[in-house]
Amino acid sequence: METPAASRTAYLYLIPAALFVALFLVLPLVRNGEISLFDWNLVSPDRRFVGLDNYRIVLGDPSFWPTLIQSLVYVLFALAGNVALPLVLALLTLRVGRREADVYQTMIFLPTIVPVSVGALLFLWLYLPTGGPLSRALATIGLGSPNWFNDPHWALPAVSSVAIWKFFGFNYLILLAGLKAIPQSYLEAAELDGAAGWTHFSKIVFPLVMPTLLFTMVTTILQALDHAFVPIQILTLGGPSGASSNLFYAIYQDAFQFFQAGKASALAVVYLALFATFAIWQFRMLERYTQYDDG
Amino acid sequence: MTTARVVLALTIAAVVLPLAYMLGTALRVEASVFTDSLNPIPLHPTLENFWVAATTMNYPHMLLVSIIFAGGVTFGQLAIAILAAYAFGCRRFPGDGWLFAAFLATIPIPFVVTYVPNYLFIARTHLLNTYLGLILPQVASAYGIFLLRQHFRAFPRSVLEAAQIDGATGWRTLWRIVVPANVPVIFALGVYIFVNTWNQYIWPLLAMADPHMHTLTVGVQDFAAGEGGSHWGALMAGATLATLPTFLVFFAARRPILETLMEGAVTG
Repeated sequence: METPAASRTAYLYLIPAALFVALFLVLPLVRNGEISLFDWNLVSPDRRFVGLDNYRIVLGDPSFWPTLIQSLVYVLFALAGNVALPLVLALLTLRVGRREADVYQTMIFLPTIVPVSVGALLFLWLYLPTGGPLSRALATIGLGSPNWFNDPHWALPAVSSVAIWKFFGFNYLILLAGLKAIPQSYLEAAELDGAAGWTHFSKIVFPLVMPTLLFTMVTTILQALDHAFVPIQILTLGGPSGASSNLFYAIYQDAFQFFQAGKASALAVVYLALFATFAIWQFRMLERYTQYDDG
Repeated sequence: MTTARVVLALTIAAVVLPLAYMLGTALRVEASVFTDSLNPIPLHPTLENFWVAATTMNYPHMLLVSIIFAGGVTFGQLAIAILAAYAFGCRRFPGDGWLFAAFLATIPIPFVVTYVPNYLFIARTHLLNTYLGLILPQVASAYGIFLLRQHFRAFPRSVLEAAQIDGATGWRTLWRIVVPANVPVIFALGVYIFVNTWNQYIWPLLAMADPHMHTLTVGVQDFAAGEGGSHWGALMAGATLATLPTFLVFFAARRPILETLMEGAVTG
């Protein structure tokens, strides 16, 4: 039992963390809301109060809906590449020996520690339409190579593939950990092949891995646009004609390329509102499946 | 069994092959970069590209900027996380659950929402192009608090109570008992923060307008936009050089990092 005086000193330990979080995470949220009400170029000393005009401009912009839809496409690609695929792979890893699995784990994790700018430049070379390794490989089987990052149809999937490559290993690791937490005897029966194996998987293994799966889905959805950001910035700048842009990138462009701080902040508030609604809904779902060990 | 191995092998090839091409192209003589691009293994390896990249990029200085950035953020995040995790993990006080939830809620705040205000903040406080301006905003993260709290909570309460009966202050208990007992997880968290910070691109680009103050991750893109543009061998050498330090750090601490991350996810 601690005395009241002793328990009050606990607050002192929170001061540094609270200061940093308040100054650089919470205050910016408030400031962002404030800036969204002004017409301002980010540098000039005078700014004009325009009320909700920026919101009207942002939502009325003809590029708003395509950008929103493209954002969803990025999220879907991320779910397929960074949740579904790593899950399949993690399940397969359980079937090989421990020593072998250890090697796979390390290799699959490697792109996670590569700087994302390096990853983007690396794929610029791999996808080079004339003379790059991929175009050579496609040529050997008689296929031509589009100009991946400059083609309105291919730019988004090509950028997305870079993000998937870079962030694949992290979710693989998390899902593998979730599967390893399942008692061995349940998994052994899952090695049954065919229909019996599938029934076993969907009825027994799947519910057990559900909390981890939901966790990776939530984090993947929330981070999908963040993960595509640097590849877009280095490879396409959101182009050609906005074909590979998304909400996240549009905010950045408005602020630091077009110097329309008010418009950028208004779009950021719209994004945050969508993001928060979704995050709250997802965490509610996560809570239903996860039991926290809070005493 | 065999299908499992084939699928695994193919995926690993898809994941690792790009890195093999990076290194292979970096080691290639300029003349054979295009003619032999499909083969990741160069026939006559040379280190010349590394020399070209290192000298044009001013590698030593960028390496220093990256180390100061990643080191400073790691130190700062660990410091605030250890203190806060001790309060949340080892002490009870009114409002602790509520305050912890408030910290936790800041973890998913996306960076596009905070970068404009933070950029304006460091511009107004004359911290643009300084290490302080580069480092301070990145210290604000609650992830470390979340991870360390789980471990600090697991620390036997009886030991903490015994220390208190012996007259040890909270401060002393933290640094003499709780921290030494949690060195592996603090170390793993530190490496994780270091690698993540090292790999950042957008914030260092904004906070350091002066190209002379760019980190390696930004510098390699500067090189691609300038001299390295069509010089694929040298560019891939620069990319390899920018990645090398994180690989060294990672392989020095591979096991504790992977274990800590896996554990954090399952218990979280």
